[in-house]
Amino acid sequence: MKKGHIVLIILIAVAIGAIVGSISDSSTYADFDEAFSNQEREFHVVGTLNKEKPTIYNPQENADLFRFHMLDNNGVEKEIFLQKAKPQDFERSEQIVLIGQAKNDVFVAREILMKCPSKYEDGSPEETISNATL
Amino acid sequence: MEINYVGEHLWIGGVGNLFIILSFVAALFATISFFQASRLKDESWEKLGILSFRVHSVAALTIIGLLFFMLANHYFEYHWVWSHTSSTMPIKYLLSAFWEGQEGSFLLWTFWHVVIGNVLIFTAKNWRKSVMTVVSSVQMFLASMILGVFIIDFKLGSNPFTQLLRDHPDFINLPMFANPNYLESLDGRGLNPLLQNYWMTIHPPITFLGYALTIVPFSYAIAALWQKNYTGWFKPGLPWAYFGVAVFGTGIIMGGAWAYEALSFGGFWAWDPVENASLVPWLTLVGGAHLMMIFKNKGSSLLAAFVLVILSFLLVLYSTFLTRSGVLGETSVHAFTDLGMSGQLLIYLLFYLFLAIGLIIWRYKDLPKSKNEDDLWSREFWMFVGALILMIASFQIAFTTSIPVINKVFGTNMAPPADPVDHYNSWQLPFAVLTLIVMGFTIFLKYKKNTFLKFFKRIVGPLIASLILTIVIGIALKMTNPYYLMMLFASTFTVSGNLNYISSILNGRVKKAGASISHIGFGILMLGTLISMSSNQIISSNTSGVDVSQLGDEFKNNENILLLEGDTLPMGKYFVTYKGREKEDIYIRFNIEYLSKIGNEYKPEFVLQPFVQLNDRMGNVPEPDTKHFLKEDVYTHITYATLETTKSKEDGYKELKTEQIGIGDTVYASNAILVLDNIFRGTGGKDLQLTDKDIAITARLRVFDFNTKEHFLQPTFVLKDSSFVLPIVAEKEELGLKVSFDKIDTETGKISLKIEESKAAKKDFVIMKAVVFPYINLLWLGAILTVIGILFSVYTRIKQD
Repeated sequence: MKKGHIVLIILIAVAIGAIVGSISDSSTYADFDEAFSNQEREFHVVGTLNKEKPTIYNPQENADLFRFHMLDNNGVEKEIFLQKAKPQDFERSEQIVLIGQAKNDVFVAREILMKCPSKYEDGSPEETISNATL
Repeated sequence: MEINYVGEHLWIGGVGNLFIILSFVAALFATISFFQASRLKDESWEKLGILSFRVHSVAALTIIGLLFFMLANHYFEYHWVWSHTSSTMPIKYLLSAFWEGQEGSFLLWTFWHVVIGNVLIFTAKNWRKSVMTVVSSVQMFLASMILGVFIIDFKLGSNPFTQLLRDHPDFINLPMFANPNYLESLDGRGLNPLLQNYWMTIHPPITFLGYALTIVPFSYAIAALWQKNYTGWFKPGLPWAYFGVAVFGTGIIMGGAWAYEALSFGGFWAWDPVENASLVPWLTLVGGAHLMMIFKNKGSSLLAAFVLVILSFLLVLYSTFLTRSGVLGETSVHAFTDLGMSGQLLIYLLFYLFLAIGLIIWRYKDLPKSKNEDDLWSREFWMFVGALILMIASFQIAFTTSIPVINKVFGTNMAPPADPVDHYNSWQLPFAVLTLIVMGFTIFLKYKKNTFLKFFKRIVGPLIASLILTIVIGIALKMTNPYYLMMLFASTFTVSGNLNYISSILNGRVKKAGASISHIGFGILMLGTLISMSSNQIISSNTSGVDVSQLGDEFKNNENILLLEGDTLPMGKYFVTYKGREKEDIYIRFNIEYLSKIGNEYKPEFVLQPFVQLNDRMGNVPEPDTKHFLKEDVYTHITYATLETTKSKEDGYKELKTEQIGIGDTVYASNAILVLDNIFRGTGGKDLQLTDKDIAITARLRVFDFNTKEHFLQPTFVLKDSSFVLPIVAEKEELGLKVSFDKIDTETGKISLKIEESKAAKKDFVIMKAVVFPYINLLWLGAILTVIGILFSVYTRIKQD
């Protein structure tokens, strides 16, 4: 067997390993029902902030705990414990992706991604009347 | 009803549109002419091609000039201008505003291709016809991205000259456009605050030059397959490929610097999809460039060189598609939104993909094969192995980054790894170790045959040196993770191996040292990455002593910390004080002072000013501040602060405590230390209109705030008519402090000092995160060395030819 072939075989083996590794490391999108019936397993949950309920952030007590309620895409609501400081502009978020796991009645989120579409687009000419004429 | 709008500059749109059409048509002409020229080996077609490409170049430059003119003069009647500027935007962000949108970034890309194309016209000699065919065809595709014409229902490109704000489908029915004078009161939407940063002025053009440079080796490779000149392209293509590696690499590291200086993720690399999208083609380009060199020197690895070089360009197209099509959606913090051009991009990508695959299959049988195998102990074999490692490493990154694409294509529902940093590190660290070790010893191998013993004798020195370094550094940094130790060994081995090569084998012949210098640089870069990322220390952990783990261990707060104004908390070797905020225009700056403590004295070391940029429309953007030392960086970021100036208007003071103190005693308030200096008869200079019967006793207190600035407070005790006590309060407004005393113990000489504090003074606070990154300067130093080394070898190679 040629050295070239050995190298090729190793190459393919590592490539397959990389695919399998990536897939096994990949997380899953889930709704709250699935996340709460699989306690302590990590999921990505997509939803929106329930703006009716108060958000709780007491940095004096714990700067790394922020509590709020989120509705998943099926409208199921759960209380969220986020292990981070309250994100800036949180109330403006239109969509939230949480990475974390269900623990009893609460969803403990390790990571949060927020989508504020206004960051890249949005805004209409009517809002951009210059100050000069006001 | 036709409205005659006032103040619009429609002529410029007309002119601009003309030049867009011209640039597209000229690129099309150039493609056809160069194609015919290469097919027929015809000089007159070639001349026509060159002329067309020149016309295209002039048109492209005119388009860019006109757009800058429109931006600078705020022609808000154009949707593109309105979207990216406002009348309040400082002129220094003009460049950022230009390439904020997709049209601008495609033009930036076009611009670099124009520059490269014109250089190629001068230098490519007999390769010119075929290479310029490929370059011109890419220019044609890029020009179509801003064409903005409808072909039946499909919109081809987005044209910044023809889309008027009042005609934009989203706004066409707004009542304001019934006013012919609407422009008078209109302001632009403005630039995304994230991009209002000096890094955004220099990072995109360099990155795009890097992207653009991949076209040269790609064009040479395609031309070589097409013209059946399989080996002649290495010589002219090699300097371009390495120049591309240097510039593209600079772009990537600048992106890291921007993330480190201006973004809040606390580090310079977060394996974000957008970062990965540029790293992947860079890795394949590095691999491809090395393979080209093997072929030039030895004559093997031909097919692999073709594949990697072609792949680099295709991956640049794929990256553009990935980041601009919106497919990354919720997986990236800075993915761009779709302008409806992703279909178009995909078509181009597939066009060049199938063209390349087709050409390779068509010519495969014809490709010269090397007769004998590479020797195991030869430079070309190990360079080949190194290039393959890079290819696999890039494949792994590309695969995981593409998970959203895989979901779209196969209908799966995978989410990206929950902990991406951990995922990528665990894969990429072994690849990095292998690459670095190969880089360390391959340089000692000659092309073709080597005797193993001779080779071994040469590397034994560097091997021992790096082992010693690993042990010393490992102990000094208390590194125990075996993977990190392997990485430490591998990077020091690359450095010592290449250093040794320069000094012993090259005997200081600098001309040939380019490769070794860049490899030393890369080793140092990886060393800096390893140390700063593995030994970084979050110093803003909770030290308040308050137990916050009542919710379980995972809620111990260990990253962010609350800092009240005036408070001083220990963080790492520092003491940190929040000294209040300053509002200046749209910036709120938070003054975070770092102090050191010597004995009982606080000594101010430095002040950091992380800030929040206020932007009602696009969201507020926080930006960290970092103090750079030679040996470490102190990074400070405000993770949360109340931004409204609702600083509690709660007036008044409340009593903190009353304490019995004598002369020389110390008493602590919340944000100051008080020392009783002296007690004396008299009012201490105050005019209290006392009579002879009154007795006045004054206490002199020295007060230190955490600035260790000294203040004096002199409360007075007055016994009026020997019958009633009248305490005179002394106040220090800036400290929110009031002191008084109404009793003196004549036996002990102690007074009962009452301390009151302002309620309002205690209200402002920030939540901050502070991280110490040790030896991060190694990273930047390594990056600079790498680039200098490559540029140097490119220079010597060009001079040689």
